[in-house]
Amino acid sequence: MEHESPSGSGAEMTRRTFLTWVSGACAAAIGAVLSASGLAYFVSPAFRKDDEGWVDVGRLADLKAGAPLKLDYVERRKDAWATTEKRASVWLVKDGDKVTAFDPRCTHLGCPFRWDDAKKQFLCPCHAGVFAVDGKVVSGPPPRPLDRYSVKVEAGRLLVNSKPIRSEA
Amino acid sequence: MKPVLDWIFERTGIDRVWEALMERHIPEAEGSVSWLYTLGSAAMFVFTVQAVTGALLAMNYVPSPDHAYDSVKFIGDKVILGGFIRGLHHWGASFMVVIVVLHFMRTYFMGAYKYPREGTWMVGIALLGVVIGFGFTGYLLPWDQKAYWATMVGTNIAGQTPFVGPIISKILKGGVDMGAATLTRFYAIHVLILPAIIGILIGAHLFLVVWHGISEPPQRAKPSDGQEKP
Ligand code: HEM
Ligand code: FES
Repeated sequence: MEHESPSGSGAEMTRRTFLTWVSGACAAAIGAVLSASGLAYFVSPAFRKDDEGWVDVGRLADLKAGAPLKLDYVERRKDAWATTEKRASVWLVKDGDKVTAFDPRCTHLGCPFRWDDAKKQFLCPCHAGVFAVDGKVVSGPPPRPLDRYSVKVEAGRLLVNSKPIRSEA
Repeated sequence: MKPVLDWIFERTGIDRVWEALMERHIPEAEGSVSWLYTLGSAAMFVFTVQAVTGALLAMNYVPSPDHAYDSVKFIGDKVILGGFIRGLHHWGASFMVVIVVLHFMRTYFMGAYKYPREGTWMVGIALLGVVIGFGFTGYLLPWDQKAYWATMVGTNIAGQTPFVGPIISKILKGGVDMGAATLTRFYAIHVLILPAIIGILIGAHLFLVVWHGISEPPQRAKPSDGQEKP
């Protein structure tokens, strides 16, 4: 039995030091795989793609040029394992082929504005903010044009992504 | 490095604790018999894996009937290596029971429970119970058909106990019927109560193992470690 020999430093490697190293290396490998997996799991939210979030809000055909339309819809949002439903609405404006979607909240303090068909402007009831049909501020306290949502048309349906795109002042 | 370590050692005595734990003498055993002595450490290892993977799973698990199943599915589908981590915890649970039972058998058949190690043995029996408790409570958590009906069977078995059965069954289920309260109850037991208990028991178990030293392989007509009861 070799275990009487001093645990081998230097050139001579005893059976004991060899086995110590082998089991140490195995333990390190197992430990590395396990902790790397655990770490990847822990940090995975950093790499998770957000739900794209396109919601069908209505038919393109209902939208007339020069007549902004407010559409109400139910937004289904995936929140990790849960799905939440929220009532939401969006203002849609058609100009030729182009469709623009406005966040229905005033950029001043968030009141819901309305379309005044006679004046051809968006009017906010809270502090008399006025926006043009392209969202620019005409008068009143709002600090920046209306915020927008991404919008696209697919097979005649209007799809909106209700993550506000903040407008520049 | 050395001065830093020396500074720490001098103030904490950790080096001597390490020596006492890792460089203690253990009996000589030949060949395959020596492997039997690793079963306790194997149980320790699987337990560590269970604790870490369990904590990770808890980050994405909801113990409520309307979310439990979806949150477990979310772990498998959406979390990086989520299926792997869940797999480790799932298989680790079975391994834990198998290894602990093997360890239990080795200490039984080698007579390691004899004087002066009866305390280690009794704490061990408690550990076996806790490990089974982990298995029973954890099985319900995915809240799928198998989980639900297995727990239904388990709680009904408890309900068959003479006289106190119905009471035990209601306490286990958190009510007359199985439902939301059963799930939260099992979850709390699985992640709060049993971990606290197993921590204390493992601490006591390992302390006793080190305190008494590991027993020798049994020899015919010789008391364990040559020690007679006084
Ligand atoms: C969570 C479960 C358990 C863990 C983590 C655990 C861990 C350990 C460890 C690391 C050792 C020292 C190495 C060895 O002898 O294998 C040990 C020894 C021992 N265990 Fe356990 N054990 C557990 C369950 C049990 C059970 C269920 C029993 C039996 C009822 C038991 C009875 C003993 C005894 C009697 C010893 C002393 C062995 C000797 O001195 O030779 N343990 N345990
Ligand atoms: S909130 Fe619209 S003007 Fe103040």
